[in-house]
Amino acid sequence: MKKIVLILPLILLTIICLFFLLFILLEKNPNEPPSALLYKDLPTFTSNNLYNKNINLGSNDLKEKYTLINFFASWCTPCRVEHHFFFEIKKENPDLFILGLAHKDDPNDSKKYLEEEGNPYSFVGLDQDGKIAFEFGVFGLPETFIVNSDGKIIFKHTGPLTKEIIKNEITKLF
Amino acid sequence: MISLIGFFALCFSTIFSFTLLIPVSIFKINIKYFILIFRLSTFLVCISFISLIFAYVSSDFTNFNVFQNSHSDKPLIYKITGAWGNHEGSILLWICMISLYGFFYSLISKSANEFKILVLKFQSALFIIFALFIILTSNPFLVNSVFVEEGLGLNPILQDPALAIHPPMLYLGYVGFSLVFSLAIASLFRNNLDQDWINEARTWSMISWGFLTAGIALGSYWAYYELGWGGWWFWDPVENISLMPWIAGLALVHSLLMIRGEQAIEKWIVFLAILCFSLSILGTFLVRSGILTSVHSFASDASRGLFILLIFFLTTGFGFLIFLIKTPSKKDDLHLLLINKTSALIINNILMMITVFTILLGTIYPIIIEVLTNKRISVGGPYFNSTVLPILLPGFLLMSIAPVLSWKTNQIKKFRIYVICFLILSLIVSLQSYFTSFNTWGFIGLILGSWIIIASIISIMIRHRFSFTIKYITSINSFIAHIGVGVMIIGVTFSSIYQKEYNFNIEVGDKVSLENEILKFNDMQIIEEKNYQSLKANISIKKKNGNIIYIKPGKNYYPVSKMITTEAGIYHDWFKDIYITLGSENNNIWFIRVLINPLVSFIWLGVIIMVFSSAIAVIKK
Repeated sequence: MKKIVLILPLILLTIICLFFLLFILLEKNPNEPPSALLYKDLPTFTSNNLYNKNINLGSNDLKEKYTLINFFASWCTPCRVEHHFFFEIKKENPDLFILGLAHKDDPNDSKKYLEEEGNPYSFVGLDQDGKIAFEFGVFGLPETFIVNSDGKIIFKHTGPLTKEIIKNEITKLF
Repeated sequence: MISLIGFFALCFSTIFSFTLLIPVSIFKINIKYFILIFRLSTFLVCISFISLIFAYVSSDFTNFNVFQNSHSDKPLIYKITGAWGNHEGSILLWICMISLYGFFYSLISKSANEFKILVLKFQSALFIIFALFIILTSNPFLVNSVFVEEGLGLNPILQDPALAIHPPMLYLGYVGFSLVFSLAIASLFRNNLDQDWINEARTWSMISWGFLTAGIALGSYWAYYELGWGGWWFWDPVENISLMPWIAGLALVHSLLMIRGEQAIEKWIVFLAILCFSLSILGTFLVRSGILTSVHSFASDASRGLFILLIFFLTTGFGFLIFLIKTPSKKDDLHLLLINKTSALIINNILMMITVFTILLGTIYPIIIEVLTNKRISVGGPYFNSTVLPILLPGFLLMSIAPVLSWKTNQIKKFRIYVICFLILSLIVSLQSYFTSFNTWGFIGLILGSWIIIASIISIMIRHRFSFTIKYITSINSFIAHIGVGVMIIGVTFSSIYQKEYNFNIEVGDKVSLENEILKFNDMQIIEEKNYQSLKANISIKKKNGNIIYIKPGKNYYPVSKMITTEAGIYHDWFKDIYITLGSENNNIWFIRVLINPLVSFIWLGVIIMVFSSAIAVIKK
């Protein structure tokens, strides 16, 4: 009996460490929470155009085509890093609709940003109050989603895209 | 160049520590040389740390670590503190302290030489493990591969005086338990049964606990005025993991103070010592591996995580294994009565262990759930408030009378005075809560807090004749500590239960009224500082008695890291804090949030009393 009491801390320690080990090995990076939206329907939203507030784009407009949705902002440095990849993606998939959403950003800053870096987006929408990002469960900028023609989210990535991700994960989706 | 010196100093320090671990059977080192080598190793690791600080001060951006965490525009103080404001530097500080604790132990300890060597060997072993961790995975002396002229800057929310000393304080606490751990393990290996080590462990655990208390309080104070949420404790995972060694340390300190040669308690002390240091490493592991994200997670790297997990497993596992094998088997009975000192101590320890376990469960539960079900949940305030507080209540009640309990009998001296005073107090508090808004927790908190203070004061008056000597203060020290807790309980109760919140949308020139005060928004100012731009609202508050005070909440913009921080404006008063945060602006209308936090100063006062009393306990021999 007494021995069992003494062994108990060791057993507890082992169990706790085992869980931590699994946590690390399964690469449960807290910066990339499991997305509740993956393989689910695209959330409904409408967004005003950055350059003309009278033009809207809603989730209904995205039906029956593949869409890449990218949340960006002029204040987001990693967004600049991934920005040029969208030109490459566009070049390889001319039919792909690329929707850029300026997240919690001043429209003038967003315009300046797109002047400096170029505009690869088919449509640039505003998300000034962050409501659309909230619907998408955006965790941190940049964040990229791909929606298929059935309106289902089939890809999600938090953080800047890299060549590897585009090659290994995005290209094979089309 | 300076990076090279730092790195080599670190390597040589590790090598010297290695030589200390050579078994006596192979090569016997004279005690004089043994201690000399240990001190040399300490000296070298300090050189290493100083050279890192120097690299920061001189803005040497050829050092990768400096490049990533510093900027030449930063004020000198934040250049210095930048050295430990990042993962690599903070771990270097950590091992520096492991070595320094060993160094001071070698200076002060009066133990037999064999025992001293044993303790220092364990201390060196711990040093080596962490030093290898630095050299292999988190080297702060890496050289920048490209030439740069400017650094990336220190995270703005860390550029703060309270935060500058918070990590060293906290580490002094955490790491102090490493020495207690070494002492405990060494005590299991010693041949004779003398209990000198208990006295040493008492001093060192008291020092560690005092530093830990100060460190946690500083962090909490920082969160109070910098994060702008209006509270001072959020049950954030990182706060929880610093609370666990603190509570275990509290249990350890109490057990060490109360031991009177009982074998059973000695065994328990060894267990607690191992537990305290394990929880300290666990805290470091969870924060440094990035498993818990919070304001502290400036590093997350899987290989580091694995390495610290290994350190945690090996150290703790080794500790508990030795405890299992070497545990003293001699039995003697504890002198337990219904309510005497020994039984009070045991109840106190049981309650504290349950608390630690409850917090541990709440902290790692999300991790277990995510591994098993791939769902993310978070355990926050409601869980901890509803589980931890009820466990602590009987402990607080016991605390008010524990110091006057007897060792041998069930009786309490002048029991009647206590009962009468308690009845009077309950009556007063009941009346008070009847005439103001009644709140169960408020009632319980107030009655407990004030009862602890009053019972301690009664005990002091009954048992000790007042005099102006240090001896007098040391003799009433336990009561002082408990008064500190009582003061803190009152502060915690009032500030969390009777907090009042007001939200306004106001323009410059507007006046609004709070309950007793009139608040006026005078103007907005923009101030240019060396490393940031500051937007400050000038708000005046006219108090009931006509006095006008100014509060300046604002936002700071740090151009280097392009971050905006909230600076709460706080007016401190003994009885309440007026706490204002500045929100967003829309057409010149500003959103401001005003919190009236009653008795927050009591929390800090309580902490200061506790730290003071632990300092007295260290001096007391």
